[in-house]
Amino acid sequence: MFLSELNVGQKARILKLNFENKEIRRHLLDMGLTRGTEVEIKKKAPVGDPIDIKLRDYELCISKSDLKQIEVEVIK
Amino acid sequence: MKIALVGNQNSGKTTLFNYLTGMNAKIGNWPGVTIEKKTGTIKGTKHEITDLPGIYSLSPYSIEEEISRKFVFDDKPDVIINIVDATSLERSLYLTTQLMELDCKVIIALNMADLLEKRGIAIDEKKLEEKLGAKVFKISALKETGIDEIIKEIDKKEDLTRVKIYDENIEKSIEKISNDLSKEHKRFISVKLLESDARFKEYNNDAIDNIKKELEKNYDTDLEEIIASERYSFIEKTKKECVKEKEVVETISDKLDKVFLNKWIAFPIFVVVMFLVYFLSVGVVGSSTVDWVADNMDAFGEWVGTSLENAGASDWAVSLVVDGIIAGVGAVLGFIPQLIILFLCISLLETTGYMSRIALLFDKLFRKLGMSGKSLIPFIVGSGCSVPGIMGTRIIENQDEREMTSILVPFIPCSAKLPIISLFAGYFFDKNSGIVSASLYFFAIIVIIISAFILSRTKFKHVSSSYISELPEYKVPSAKYVAKDVFDKVIAFIKRAGTVILVCSIVIWFLLSFSFGMEYGVDIEDSMLASIGKTVSWVFYPMLGQNNWGATVSAIQGLVAKEQVVSSMAVIAGLAEDVEEGSEIFADGTPFAGITAAAAYAFMVFNLFSAPCFGAIGAMQRELGSTKRMLKAVLFQTSCAWILATIVYQIGSRIESGAINWANLVIILAIVIVLACIIVSKFIKKGDGCARCPYCNNCK
Repeated sequence: MFLSELNVGQKARILKLNFENKEIRRHLLDMGLTRGTEVEIKKKAPVGDPIDIKLRDYELCISKSDLKQIEVEVIK
Repeated sequence: MKIALVGNQNSGKTTLFNYLTGMNAKIGNWPGVTIEKKTGTIKGTKHEITDLPGIYSLSPYSIEEEISRKFVFDDKPDVIINIVDATSLERSLYLTTQLMELDCKVIIALNMADLLEKRGIAIDEKKLEEKLGAKVFKISALKETGIDEIIKEIDKKEDLTRVKIYDENIEKSIEKISNDLSKEHKRFISVKLLESDARFKEYNNDAIDNIKKELEKNYDTDLEEIIASERYSFIEKTKKECVKEKEVVETISDKLDKVFLNKWIAFPIFVVVMFLVYFLSVGVVGSSTVDWVADNMDAFGEWVGTSLENAGASDWAVSLVVDGIIAGVGAVLGFIPQLIILFLCISLLETTGYMSRIALLFDKLFRKLGMSGKSLIPFIVGSGCSVPGIMGTRIIENQDEREMTSILVPFIPCSAKLPIISLFAGYFFDKNSGIVSASLYFFAIIVIIISAFILSRTKFKHVSSSYISELPEYKVPSAKYVAKDVFDKVIAFIKRAGTVILVCSIVIWFLLSFSFGMEYGVDIEDSMLASIGKTVSWVFYPMLGQNNWGATVSAIQGLVAKEQVVSSMAVIAGLAEDVEEGSEIFADGTPFAGITAAAAYAFMVFNLFSAPCFGAIGAMQRELGSTKRMLKAVLFQTSCAWILATIVYQIGSRIESGAINWANLVIILAIVIVLACIIVSKFIKKGDGCARCPYCNNCK
């Protein structure tokens, strides 16, 4: 399952980052999207992209195309 | 002592910096890039403090991070003050774990301490100090509490020992690598070598590669990810021991976002907000302030003129001061009230957190064009005046997106171009003048879309298609911060744009007032500018169908201010400066008599897209960071204008003469569009295709 498939309010745990682009991958790692991190889908932009996720006590907006590269398992 | 102020974006860094320096900061530009570096002296001491760009990490992937790393390595600060947002401790401490690896004294300023209680968070700073191995102080930059303790701490010797944060295997490897290094910041470099950071590859060798290979066997992913994970697990552990917090269900920001990001009303709210900004800065309020300044400048010019005459100054000297310098500088000053209002609006939008929401609303659309959601704001503002529009591009973080937007903003017809449009459209298209005027706006939008499409695939190829940005909470803005922000931006504008305008206005004045015989006070027809106009009028031949020096000179004068195109044409036609009647300007016997409707439309198009006025050029130079890049941008704009105007005239004049009828035109346009699509698709394939796209695994 990928993070892009989740609905607002759902929580998930990160399993793997599939990025080919090292820059984006590194940036997301720096922002705390490491394996095992719990994330929650908080809000979506009115057009559905980008999507706002909550992790490590703060909120981060990421475009849908990037969320497609993040493998997760749903917790709730 | 040299001190560096380092912290995340939005952590209150600037507020702390302003307090520490007593708002006496000098603003300079980093060489080569447009990110500002601020240096000042901490009040009451001799310590020099530098405000580094807001960063989340010292990775090598963004300019801001690279600048900060370079500063730490090359400028060798004695102390780093790391400002940490206490309300989002986990993410903020990530940067701290990197700073702690440097051979520098690190002082941690736990900011927003005043908000902790409200949020139900309790932080044990003594314990945190112990766990991190660096001094921790709770402060509030906004309420100005706790900061003096930090100033006192700067002089003290560091008596804490740095902690080890990674697991045993990694720590052993770091030790092995750092033993062979002789440089400063051994631990930092060793970690960077493990992460395969390209900036440090000069220190890499086979032994290190072997250590890395050996180490990676223990994990199922690369070391870059392992190290990031290890840092975060250390932070999680530390946080558990030092922080107690209440579970928050729904914050005020969440409630506000239910309104501002609502599917149905988000866009109407945006329209209202934008209307307000437009209305205040470039609409009724803004333009009345501009008129007010212009009137006062005129009066001032007259007064100076009479005073100089009375003092016995010669005609040309009076004219230089009044028509050259005061009129030119007045043109800059005229923008200032508008700019203050605009910067105030933008600063409020930014500090409240609404700007981040605007970016969310339009990101998808603008990203397709290689720009950011925030690009919309400069374009809207630019329809009033390009100068604040270009300066408004500051809100865009990504440098490529920012530069591209600042080059494209002048394509939107600004209010100063309206007199040109109303003169030509009114006279040549009579009943259809409304449609013709509107068509120019559509034309501008199409040109912007096409230019953006091309630029983002050629010059600005590195524009990323992804969006990763923190969504800040809504905040009540601080009056002090907003005032300082607006003041800084206005001063920067006066300094840069002012000097460009001054020089250029004097040059144009000189060319217009003197003949090549250095005779002052000649008729405009005998001036140097007219001679130049006559020499280069062939440039305009393809779009006017004739060599017309009058139109050429007017277009050049448009550089000072676009509304001058019309007054210049009136003067050349031998009329008073304020004549705006097409029937007089284009009457038989004037230099403009031969202009046809097609040439008129082409000339409008040229003036719309060619180099903007000096004010906007000055603003562009500032945003692009160098004169060379500004000249390139102006050249790009002017070539676009020339090509488009020529196409318009060549097609238009053939329709006029009946050589092409509408049916033919449709066929030609269809062929051109098909050809363009083929070329563009080839062009994209020919580019680095897969390498450019970060999401390749889906296509394979």
